[in-house]
Amino acid sequence: MVSIRRVAAVAAVSMVGLSAACSGTDSTSSAVPGQPKDNSVIAQAPVAAAADILPGSTMEKIKQRGELIVGGSLDAPLLSQQNPTTGEIEGFDADMGKALAKYIIGQPKVKIVNAASETREALLSNGTVDVVFQTYTITPERAEQVAFAGPYYSSGLTIAVKKGTTGIAKPEDLNGKTVIAGANTPAIPAIKQLAPQATIVTFGSDPECVQALKQDRGVAYVQDETLLVADAQKDPSIQVVGSPFTTDPYGIGLKHGDDQFKKFVNDWLTKIQGQGVWQQIWKGSLGTVVQGEAPTPPQIGSVPGS
Amino acid sequence: MSALLDHLPEFWQGLIVTLQLTAASFAGAAVMGLVIAAMRVSPVPVLRGIGTAYVETLQNLPLLVLLVLAVFGLPEIGLQAGLQVTATVVIALYEGAYIAEALRSGVNAVSSGQGEAARALGLNFTQSLRHVVLPQALRTVIQPIGNIFIALTMNTSLAAAVGVVELTAAANRVNLLEAQPIPIFVGAGVAYAVIAACAGFVTGRLERRLAVVR
Amino acid sequence: MSNVLFDEPGPRARRRIRIATIAGAVVVLGLVALAVRQFADNGQLTADRWQPYATWPMWRYLLGGLWSTLLAAVVSAALSMAAGLALALGRLSRRSWVRMPSAAYVETVRTIPVLVLVYVVLFALPRYGLDLPLFWKLVVPLTVSNASLFAEVFRAGILSIERGQSEAGLAVGLTHGQTMRLIVLPQAARRVLPSIVSQSVGLLKDTSLGFVVSYAELLYSGKVLANYNGLLIQTYIVVALVYLVVNASLSKLARTLEARQPRRRTARV
Repeated sequence: MVSIRRVAAVAAVSMVGLSAACSGTDSTSSAVPGQPKDNSVIAQAPVAAAADILPGSTMEKIKQRGELIVGGSLDAPLLSQQNPTTGEIEGFDADMGKALAKYIIGQPKVKIVNAASETREALLSNGTVDVVFQTYTITPERAEQVAFAGPYYSSGLTIAVKKGTTGIAKPEDLNGKTVIAGANTPAIPAIKQLAPQATIVTFGSDPECVQALKQDRGVAYVQDETLLVADAQKDPSIQVVGSPFTTDPYGIGLKHGDDQFKKFVNDWLTKIQGQGVWQQIWKGSLGTVVQGEAPTPPQIGSVPGS
Repeated sequence: MSALLDHLPEFWQGLIVTLQLTAASFAGAAVMGLVIAAMRVSPVPVLRGIGTAYVETLQNLPLLVLLVLAVFGLPEIGLQAGLQVTATVVIALYEGAYIAEALRSGVNAVSSGQGEAARALGLNFTQSLRHVVLPQALRTVIQPIGNIFIALTMNTSLAAAVGVVELTAAANRVNLLEAQPIPIFVGAGVAYAVIAACAGFVTGRLERRLAVVR
Repeated sequence: MSNVLFDEPGPRARRRIRIATIAGAVVVLGLVALAVRQFADNGQLTADRWQPYATWPMWRYLLGGLWSTLLAAVVSAALSMAAGLALALGRLSRRSWVRMPSAAYVETVRTIPVLVLVYVVLFALPRYGLDLPLFWKLVVPLTVSNASLFAEVFRAGILSIERGQSEAGLAVGLTHGQTMRLIVLPQAARRVLPSIVSQSVGLLKDTSLGFVVSYAELLYSGKVLANYNGLLIQTYIVVALVYLVVNASLSKLARTLEARQPRRRTARV
C-alpha cells in the first residue's frame, strides 16, 4: 500500500502545483495590452473625477488593481469578437468595457474573461469578474442573483432566410417548419413560444448557422438582428425579413447588492450618452453594418430588473 | 426529480435517436472495419496503403472535427444528407477504423501455421480469410469490439454538436428550460450506463460461448 | 513479407497484384478528383478563401490554440495517469474495501460520455458554488473519464507480468508493496508504454470538447477564427490538418515504442 499512498501524495502535490501554474497563465483570458493608438473613440471617453472614486468602493478596488475584469465573449462578431491578427477584442460590448475601464482607471485596461452564458451569475457573485458585457438581457429572474446597470443597448430577434424564400415574414410563419438557431441562445425559447410547431435545429456558432441555412438544413435562421444584418451583408445569398419581434434590453451585469457601484456605472452611462461617446462606439461597431444614425439609447432603469 | 419526469417524452425521443445512431453506426462500422481490415492484410500494396491511410486519418482526428466537417463540408462536394444520417455515417466511418485495427490485431494473433495449412489445402486468399482465419480472429476480438461498442455509444453524444437531438442534446434542452442540471444529467448518464452494461453483458456471454480453450 | 494470409507471391500473383494496384489507384484518384472538382465548382477553392491561411497572424492564432490544446492534454494526461495507476492498484488490492470502490469507479465512469461529464461540470457544479476556471472545466471531466481508461491500461499491464516475477520478489523477502513497486510496476510500465501513448492521442482528441466549454483550445480557436473571417469550411479543414499532424506524430511514436519492445505477445488493451 506504500505505493498507493505515494502516488496519491504525488498526485495531490502536482495538482496544487499545476493549479498555481495555470492560474498565472490562464490562456482563456486575454489582457488587452496598453492603449490602442488608433482607437480614437476611447481616446475621447471621459475619466471619472477623483471624488467619484469613493474610498472603499468597488471602483477604488478596480482602480488600484489597474485593470477592469470583464466577463465577455471572444466569438461574438460586432459585439465582442477577438481579432486574430492583433489579439484585440473588438466590438460594441468590448469597447463599452474599455470605456468603463478608462472612466475608472484612466486607461482602457481591460482583461476579458471568456464567460459561458450559463455561468455569468456565478462569475459575478464570486468576484471573478467586476462586470459582464455580454448581450446580457435584463430579466426580473436574473435580477434576483445579479444587479443590472443600464440597459445600455436594446436589440431584438429577427428572421433570416435564403434569398427567394417566400411565405416567411413573421415568427408565426415558422410553425411546422424547420428553424435554425444558435445553441443556448434566447432564440430557442422565443421560437417555442411564438411558433410552437416549429422544429428547432441548433448549431454552435453563427457561421455554422449561416452555412446550415445556405445548405437548406432549415428554412429560416432566428438570431439577433444586428448579427443577421451583418451576415446578410457579408453573404448576398441570404436576406433578413421583417423587423425584430422581441425586445432584449441588454444590461451591464454587476455583483448583486452593490448599489454604490451600480449608481456609479449608471452615472457613467448617462455621461457617455450625453457626450456622444456611446453613439461613437455604436458607429464604430454595430453601426458599420446598420444604415443610418445611432439609435436613441434606452432609458436607464426603464426595464423591470434594472 | 420532477424535471426528469415532466419531460419523459423528450428524454424518450432522445434515447430513441441515441439507440438508432448507436445501432446503425455500429452496423456500418462493423462492415467498414471488416473491409478495411481485409485491405490492410491484403497482398496488394495499394489496398494496404489505402487501408493504412484510412485508419491513420480517422484515428488521428477528433470525431467532433469530423462531424463538423462532414455536416458543413460534404454538401459542398454535392453530398448532402439529413443531419442524423450524416452523423450516423461519420460515426460509422470513425469507429470502423477502430474495428479494423481490432480485427487486424486479431488476424495477426492467429498463428501463421493456420494460414499455411489453409493454403496447403488449396484455399485462396478470400477463402482462407473467411473459413480459417476470421472465425478464429473474431473470437479473440470480442472483448475489444465490445469496448469499441461502448465507446461508440458514448461518442454518439457528440452528434449533439451538429444539431442532432439525441439523448445528450435532449437533456441539455430540458436543462435550459428547467435549470435542474443534477437530476437531468445524472438521468442521461444512467441511460448511457445501462446501454453500456447491456453491451458488456452480451460480450461477456459471447466470449464464454465462443471461447477457444488452447 | 511472410504473413498469416499469404506467401511470397509468384509471377502470376505478382501480375494480378499489379493490375489490382493500378485499378485501386485509378478508383481512388478518380474519387478524389471528382470531390475536388465539386468542391471547386462550389467556389470553396478560390484563392481568396484560402489566402488568410497563408498569413502568419492566422497561424499564430491557431498555434496559440494548439498550445492550449497541448497544455490541457498534458495536464489531464498527467492527472489521469496518476489517478489511473491508483485505481489499477486499487482494483488489484487484496482488501475488498479498496478493490470494490475502484472497480465500481472504473466500470461506471467508462460508460458515461465525456460530454455528459462536461455538462455536469459546466452547468451543475456552479449551482453548488463550484465554478471552476475554464481550463479546469475542460480538464476535470477529461481527467475523471480518462482515469478509468488509464486504470484499465495499467491493470492489463500489471496482469501481463508473469506470476513468477512477483513470486520471486516475495520469495526474496520483499513485502507485497515492495514487490509491486520494485519488480512488477517497472516492467509493466515499459510494456504499457505504447498503449499509454495511444490513449493519450485519444485524450488529445477529447480536448476538442473545449469547443463546448469555450476554452480556447485548437477547435475553439478555429470557431473564433471562422466567426471572424466567415470561412467555416476552410478553417475547419486547416484545424483538422493540424490535429492530423500532431496526432499522427504521436501515433508514430507509439509504434516506434512498440517496435522497440522485446518480441513477445503483449496484452492488447
